[in-house]
Amino acid sequence: MSQFEYLRSVSIGQYLPLDSLTHRLDPGAKIVGFSLLIIAISIANNLYSLALALLVSAILIAASRIPFSFAVRGLLPPLPFLVLIATLQLVITPHPETSAAIFGVWRINIYSEGILAALKLLLRFASLLLILTTLSSSLSTIEMINGLDLLLKPLQQIGVPTDNAVLLVQLTLRFIPFLALNAEKIAKSQASRGAKWDTPNGKLINRIQQIIPLVIPLFITSLRQAENLSTAMLARGFGSSTARTSMHTYRFTLRDGVFLLFLLFTSAGILFLF
Amino acid sequence: MAALIEILNASFQYHPQHAEPIQALSNINLTIQSGEFIAIIGANGSGKSTLGKLLNALLIPDSGVVQIHGMNTRDPGNHAAIRAQIGMIFQKPQDQIVATTVEEDTAFGPGNLGLPSNEIRDRVAFALSASGLTTYRSRPSYLLSAGETQRLALAGVLAMQPVCLIFDETTAMLDPAGREMVIEQAKALHRQGTTILFITHLMEEAAQAERVIVLDKGKIVMDGSPRQVFNQNIEEIGLEKPTALAASRMLRPFIPSLPDDILTKEDLFNHIPHYEGNQSAPSQARKQTAPVQSNITAKNLSYTYMLGTPLEHQALNDLSISIGSGSMHGLIGATGSGKSTLLQHFNGLLRAQSGTLSVFGMDLNYRKLDTRSLRQRVGLSFQQPENQIFNQYVGDEVAYAARQLGHSGTLANAVKSAMEAVGLDFSVYKDRLTYTLSGGELRKTALASALVTKPDILLLDEPLAGLDPLSRKEVMEFLNCMHDAGLTLVFSTHQFDGIIGEMDAISVLQSGKDITHGTPTNIFSTKDSKLPDALRPPFATELCTVLKENGWPVPAGIVQLSVVIEMVSKIKKRAHT
Repeated sequence: MSQFEYLRSVSIGQYLPLDSLTHRLDPGAKIVGFSLLIIAISIANNLYSLALALLVSAILIAASRIPFSFAVRGLLPPLPFLVLIATLQLVITPHPETSAAIFGVWRINIYSEGILAALKLLLRFASLLLILTTLSSSLSTIEMINGLDLLLKPLQQIGVPTDNAVLLVQLTLRFIPFLALNAEKIAKSQASRGAKWDTPNGKLINRIQQIIPLVIPLFITSLRQAENLSTAMLARGFGSSTARTSMHTYRFTLRDGVFLLFLLFTSAGILFLF
Repeated sequence: MAALIEILNASFQYHPQHAEPIQALSNINLTIQSGEFIAIIGANGSGKSTLGKLLNALLIPDSGVVQIHGMNTRDPGNHAAIRAQIGMIFQKPQDQIVATTVEEDTAFGPGNLGLPSNEIRDRVAFALSASGLTTYRSRPSYLLSAGETQRLALAGVLAMQPVCLIFDETTAMLDPAGREMVIEQAKALHRQGTTILFITHLMEEAAQAERVIVLDKGKIVMDGSPRQVFNQNIEEIGLEKPTALAASRMLRPFIPSLPDDILTKEDLFNHIPHYEGNQSAPSQARKQTAPVQSNITAKNLSYTYMLGTPLEHQALNDLSISIGSGSMHGLIGATGSGKSTLLQHFNGLLRAQSGTLSVFGMDLNYRKLDTRSLRQRVGLSFQQPENQIFNQYVGDEVAYAARQLGHSGTLANAVKSAMEAVGLDFSVYKDRLTYTLSGGELRKTALASALVTKPDILLLDEPLAGLDPLSRKEVMEFLNCMHDAGLTLVFSTHQFDGIIGEMDAISVLQSGKDITHGTPTNIFSTKDSKLPDALRPPFATELCTVLKENGWPVPAGIVQLSVVIEMVSKIKKRAHT
């Protein structure tokens, strides 16, 4: 096993060419449905709602035939940061004067409000990450471009340059695996020349110290790559004509309708049920 | 009707931040008619890529005019029409892949042209089969090997069916079969009427064009048929003659019947006369190889990337290899055969998923392996230097390993001797910004930074790829020098012709396995040797085969051109006495 296979632990932004219910859906329906869900999860402020959201993301992962281990592995890299923020929530969440501390550690008292806030934060991020993983695993970049084209058509007709928005979304998603691969190359190159990348039992402070010399070259190589990529896209005619077409013809079918309704009801459920 | 491409007095300057502007092209005048097949050659940094980008309006000249079918590139309204006609395949294949799957990436260009769906599907199917990617159609595009990515880049442009196609060093990262595929593809398209502009560092490829344009420091210095161009003294500007031409010049004193205008291998082989003299083979000085201790021993290595995900793919499959101390060991094989993965095992970057590996007697599977002391003795330089250089200044880049791992003497002296070993002048280059370096300088910087800790083993991934003839020669000299100094050198390469005579051993990899290994002579002497389809024997070996077929008593297993010439001269001299 190599600690340098960063791509292996990145699950967002990796399209998985599988054959599943979600993969076959109309891209427009998929983008709208998942967006509804993401908005609902972001707004919801109730423990039960967020638990329901986690359940829904599990159902969607299963419906997309994405291996659970693959999806869950994507939660690991941001986990230290989430735990850090959750701990802060635990300590600093305001509580009514009347409520009694559940327990105290050293001079810090922990109240039930703090625990609730920390739990909600973890649930919210976990379900959001899983939903984004499911979306990016089942929606290829071209489907994304075509879906957004369709959805943004009204805006385009009133003269908003939607091409740039589509390009932005496309480049951002395209760059998640790119960033992982670039980081891998730089880290390998530094480790080959003696950087302590793979010394085991690194403390948090050591890991942060390692990240700094990685981030700057990562930005530089990635910006250069972004420039090359946009040059290549222009060379292949992107943006020089407005009538973009696709190799697939999409038809909004009953299945897409059922799927959209399902996500509409779940989103409403997350928001209003509890 | 206007010419396809017309360039009038065009100049172009790059303006890097904190550095002097770079005059990439100055006062270019050029006319290209529909249906021409043109090779563009020149040293690294001579302006070839810039010229290509002017033609499909990716760059607009600072002064002067570029017209495509009479359409000026300066007018943005023309860009859609120009880019639909002029397709371009770039130097770095991984930077031009837009979509996440092979099929969808191929469909990107036709989609932008606004073609109907069924037409796009037909074009995608055609382009994928033409570039040999049909079985890859649903693979994620970012997980392809360098060679496969290059093919995908070709497919993406072929699907747009342009009237003119620019290949910008498209063959640099490919294996020999892949290179042949690209040039055959270019020729086939040319026969169907497509105009081809082939930018390349390989003179053998340029020799196959109808017209060769030579750039030097942003100016067109020669423009004519391959015959006219290669008869001139192009060595002066860092280029070289095609191997077949150079070989025929060396053979002519002994075989006067050879015409003096030979350019390609086929040409030369067809003109080898029949020999009917004494059939005993002349004696040949054989390189004696004493058995040496091995300092890298691997047994049954296997490695799978993305293990445990739906995207897993196997790179090494039960591979065993042993590398002798002080030897120069070549790894050859098709792109994607596991060479890079293997090299990254040897300094502990990748740990074997199964099998054993020992380097200098250290067990690399040991969990608490002291990787730093291993890496001080085993230097590694990666395939694309621009991805591994992470410092702003050349001096810092080279010094990095020495700062991390220690060095003998002062740091400045360690850096200086490493830079001078690769041919970079310390006082000139130590304060150069790394992003202003040319391809050859980048490669040398990467080599120097692996050398600075004075390692005993140097691992080099494709050190000769993407270099112009002069830099290629310099890097080969560097490798020979290190070999003579007693270092163990392990490198992967697709371009082994110039260095094969120095190699002590070769391992041929295919699908993650070591299918055969031995001395270069052994590997290429047996006619039925199991070489993978992607590989070609060295030029000298092919020449020997042709000589033999024509009755010349040349000994078997020659891999160096100079030895072939020596044998032919001996045979001829014997006939005279």
